[in-house]
Order: sequence, then C-alpha cells, then structure tokens
Amino acid sequence: MMNFLAVTGWGWTEVLWCSLISVALVFTVLVLLVGVMKLFGVVFAEKPKRKMAAVETKPVSEGQLHEEEIAAITAALKLYKSALHDRESEVLTILNVKRAYSPWNSKIHGLTQLPDRK
Amino acid sequence: MGFAAFFSEMGWGNLVMILIAFFLLYLAIKKEYEPMLMMTIAFGMLLTNLPGAGLFHEELFAGGQVHWDLFGAHDPNLPHPGLLDYLYLGVKLGIYPCLIFVGVGAMTDFGPLIANPKSFLLGAAAQIGIFATFLAAFAMGFTPEQAGSIGIIGGADGPTAIFLTSKLAPELLGPIAVAAYSYMALVPVIQPPIMRALTTKKERMIKMSTLRQVSKKERIIFPIVIASIISLLLPDAAPLIGCLMLGNLMKECGVVDRLSKTVQNELMNIVVIFLGLTVGATATANTFLSPATLKIMIMGVVAFGVASACGVLFAKLMNCFLKEGNKINPLIGSAGVSAVPMAARVSQKVGQEENPSNFLLMHAMGPNVAGVVGSAVAAGLLLSFLG
Repeated sequence: MMNFLAVTGWGWTEVLWCSLISVALVFTVLVLLVGVMKLFGVVFAEKPKRKMAAVETKPVSEGQLHEEEIAAITAALKLYKSALHDRESEVLTILNVKRAYSPWNSKIHGLTQLPDRK
Repeated sequence: MGFAAFFSEMGWGNLVMILIAFFLLYLAIKKEYEPMLMMTIAFGMLLTNLPGAGLFHEELFAGGQVHWDLFGAHDPNLPHPGLLDYLYLGVKLGIYPCLIFVGVGAMTDFGPLIANPKSFLLGAAAQIGIFATFLAAFAMGFTPEQAGSIGIIGGADGPTAIFLTSKLAPELLGPIAVAAYSYMALVPVIQPPIMRALTTKKERMIKMSTLRQVSKKERIIFPIVIASIISLLLPDAAPLIGCLMLGNLMKECGVVDRLSKTVQNELMNIVVIFLGLTVGATATANTFLSPATLKIMIMGVVAFGVASACGVLFAKLMNCFLKEGNKINPLIGSAGVSAVPMAARVSQKVGQEENPSNFLLMHAMGPNVAGVVGSAVAAGLLLSFLG
C-alpha cells in the first residue's frame, strides 16, 4: 500500500521530503478524523436538541400554564415547604425513668459477687 | 566465574552499567519516576550486565533479525538462549507494545476528544516535534532509521517508541526506552517553563466552555470508526491503533466487563513486567556506553520541548480563527504530546496558577488522547518510509 514511499538512498533532500510529507499526512489524517467526529456530533448529539425544540414550540392555550412555569412553581413550593419547621413546645422532655425492682438484674443475686472488703 | 569477568577487557563496562542500573532503581523507588517501567527496566539492565549470568545474548538478534536457527541449536560453541532471550521475542515481534495499547485503550476516556474534535489538531501539532527531532538527529550523524526512532521520543508514548525502535533501530532500544520514560516522568518539570514562555497571562486565564455530553452510541462507534479509517489509510499504524481501539471498545461497550478489567489490570501488569525487563536487558555495555546514548538523551529533551511548544503555538494559531467565547486556552496545546494523563494535569496546574477557578483538565484530556492517536499515526508513517 505505502511501498511507493520507500526510498533507497537517504540524503538531506529525501529526509526533508520525508519529514514534510509525514507532517502533512499526520495533519490530513487527523483533520479527516475531525470531520468524521463533527459528523458524529451532528448525527448523535443534535437529536435531543431537536426534540427539545419541538417541545418548546408546542402551543399553550389561554389560561394554561407552560410546563416550565409549572416546574418553576413546583420547585419554589418544594423549597418553601422544606424551609418550614414544625413548631415545637420548647419544653425539655428528659424524664427520669424508674424501673421496678427485678431479681433478674439484681447484683445481690448475681453469680459473680465482688469480694467483701472491710 | 562472574567476578573475574569484571576484570576482563570490557568488564569495566559491565560495572558502569550496573551502577547506572542502581541509579535508575534509585530514581524509580525513591523518586518514583515512572516506577512501573523504570524499576523493571533498571532490573533488566542489572541482570543483563551480570557477567556469566547468560540471561540475554545480543548475537541472537544481531543485525535486527531474530536468528531462529540459534534458538534451537545444540552446539556447545553457540550461545545457549537465556530467559530474557525468550521474553525479548515479545518485543522483537512487536507483541508487548500492542498488548499494552489494549490496556491503555481500556483505561482511556475518549469522551473529551469526541466532545471537542478540534483537539485532534492539537494532537497533530505536537507531532511536529517528532519530525523536527528526526531532522536534528539526522544532522547529528544518525542513520535515518535511528533518527526516526529518536524522533519518536517526542511522541511521549513509551509503547509506540519501543514498537518503532524495535523495528527500525533495535540497537538503540535500551537508550531510547530509558530516555522516553525518564522524560515522561519529567513532564511536570520540562513543560511548564515552555508553556509560560509562549503564552501571555491573559491567554493562560482563558476559560473554556463546558464540554457537551457524549452519548454511549458515540463512545461505542468511535473506536470502530477510528480503527477502520486509520488502518485503511496507514496499514503500518494498524497494530497500535487497532489494539488501542480494541481496548477502548471493551470498556465502552459494557458487555465484556471481565475482559475490560483483565486488560486494564492483570494483562497490563504482566506485559509491563516482560516489556520492562527485556527492554532493560538490551542495555548492555556494548550498546549503552557510547556517545550515541548521550546524544539520544539530549535529543529526547529537544523532542519533548519542541513537541510541547508546537502544541501551544498551534493552539494560539487556532485562536486567531475562533470567535470570542469559543477560544481555547493555549495551555491545553502542550497536552498534545501523549504522556497520558500527566501532560493534561500539567495544563490544569499551570492554568490554575493564573486563575484558580479555571478547570482545564477535561479540556486538556482531548489533545492528550489525540496525541496518543497522533503519535501512533506518526510511527506508522516513519515505519512506512524507513521500514
């Protein structure tokens, strides 16, 4: 395929030409890829935009709210509601809990009684 | 005995090479300069220069050819192939760099490049450094094949440099691999002064618009299209580009997660070990201790510098044709040399020094991955001309 590029005797002329052609070819190949990728963008990335544009042009009858307006109002309400707090009594409710005596947790009836130090 | 060989005619050379291997081990372990490859390269260098170990024999690959007859010879007068001789076949036959490219492809996100195809141009501009260095190396007395292999250091892409050098100038594989990986580790040191010198403060502060979302379809079709186009145009670049895009397709298609994880981790790690060891093994005293190595080290810096400068300057040139608001920050041009993702990080860092609210990383990843494609294309062209 690229055998036509093969050079037999290498002097300054050949080396210079080789460099210039190579730089030109690197740019050509990569510019070609830029074109291909731009085409990619048009084919794959533009579609959602078109869909959005179609939605935007949907007619809105008189007295009816636009979808974006509804979204904005809903978001504002959500923010307002989340900013509100429940009103509390402001009375501390830490109560002293008294448990009835039970032998099940009694130290006296425990198996590991501490030594009686006197 | 091995020790006695140090006092023979070329014994001092082995000793010097072992000291260089120690120095590279220090850089890899202590300074963490591309440790994954630098450590294995340095250890390969150490093993090959231990007299009497017989792990690697240059004569099996003399003249750039694999002497298959010597591999199977039972003559006691002929060298008996060592472990590294067998492993080196993977480099010589161009297998390891391509396998690494499969892993690189699976780890690369081409999204920023797909979202901003102009990045391809910055990737192309940075490749001018390769050909400028090719001319400079030829002027310094290297053969065209050697000059091409030295020039590819400017592509800042290790596997590509190894792939091309193993085909064109295998005798320079050791010094070129060491130069390429050393300078890749030094990208944060080499690039910023060049970037600052070639741009104004105002240019460095340019904010770029947010990249568009890239659909899954685009991500899947991209590797298939790129591999097909480049392989048809440049068959010599097909092994590298084909493997790169295969890895990327594995990642993006989402149906072969096991394969994708394997090539990103296990396969990549295994091949890195083999590649590093065997490339290091080629750095014998005979080939490494010559004035050519010093010249290659100098030309390597030139290649990196020119490539970075060309990227930045081309970005400035592009800005002359772009509308206000669509202008690109020239700092991302330097990321056109591959060195993924280090070069992109450098663009981000230098950009944030001027404007802390500027985030260039994703924009720089576009030219960065375009540079990988560009350097593979440049390698394919050099192979077409000189191979």
